[in-house]
Amino acid sequence: MSLTVARVEPSLAGVGDYIELMKPRVMSLVVFTALVGLVVAPGHVHPVIGLTALICIAVGAGAAGALNMWYDADIDARMARTAARPIPAGRLAPGEALAFGLTLASFSVVVLGLLVNVFAAALLALTIAFYVVVYTMWLKRTTPQNIVIGGAAGALPPLIGWTAVTGSFAVEPILLFLIIFFWTPPHFWALSLYRADDYARAGVPMLPVVAGVRETRRQILLYTLILAPLGIAPWLLGYAGAVYGVAAAVAGALMIALAFRVRAEQDANTASKQMFAFSILYLFLLFAMLLVDRMSAGFAGLLFGHFAV
Amino acid sequence: MTMSNAMNDAMNEEPPPTGIKLTEEQERARRARSIAIAVSLGALVLLFYIVTLVRGPGVFHN
Repeated sequence: MSLTVARVEPSLAGVGDYIELMKPRVMSLVVFTALVGLVVAPGHVHPVIGLTALICIAVGAGAAGALNMWYDADIDARMARTAARPIPAGRLAPGEALAFGLTLASFSVVVLGLLVNVFAAALLALTIAFYVVVYTMWLKRTTPQNIVIGGAAGALPPLIGWTAVTGSFAVEPILLFLIIFFWTPPHFWALSLYRADDYARAGVPMLPVVAGVRETRRQILLYTLILAPLGIAPWLLGYAGAVYGVAAAVAGALMIALAFRVRAEQDANTASKQMFAFSILYLFLLFAMLLVDRMSAGFAGLLFGHFAV
Repeated sequence: MTMSNAMNDAMNEEPPPTGIKLTEEQERARRARSIAIAVSLGALVLLFYIVTLVRGPGVFHN
């Protein structure tokens, strides 16, 4: 019997490669939506505990990103958009990414459970597991509904932020979850419309690859028609003020207009690029307005409370 | 050369280097990673310390 031992070259990976592994741009959106969940939640949380929760959520999101890049290295290598990522570019070994992702995931969940609360930690663990196991390992390679169902992972951070303060669920954070959940398909399908060749080459069954460009445009419009009213719902249900309501209505109308343009134009590339870019702004605007709304309400309360005394 | 001198020379001789010899670039990358790990662990300790100050003795009672 002979034993073959693979010789592993010492790593050349720099700190920047590990940061890239954590998908910092995705992480920033996750942290921002979690911050909104944390701020709009009723009750008080000490700023240090709030910051701890946000750090844990950021690290957990980074862990999910690293584990995603570890598993998807073969796909990433075949796509122009992702070929320069640390693993397919050869700067980082897959095993390093796996160890890094597992370590960060464990630390983020345990620290959140110890220093904030167990419910929020359980939700963070569920989010990481859902993104890595359900989306990355299962859905992404098997169904065009991958980003619809998998989008639930990206929609959970506001709920984690909320539970970090309250330790329980409520309708308001579920509404925030639904906004991100219904925002994800038009956002990613707009991207996949002008990256369809890339996805086809990598064998990823994105909607334009499997069902065609026409059906993708139709689905983008359908999801946007659900998303726009959902965006206004926090105001309609009394969770946010009129300024938020007006901003959400205008931004929602623009999203619908862009979705119609994507559907109508013969060459949808330009329109879908615009839709992709605007969808990021749309989500940011909605959550920023919620933040402003809640903080201004708190400030007004303080001011009038002070004068009342 | 006597027999005992030859044995002494053989015993004092440095053994040939074994294992992996890192290049300068690899050593630099490893040093950067080590510093990053040290900073992260330091930050974690500091975080536990500050949260303990904020929460007091019941720091883990969530």
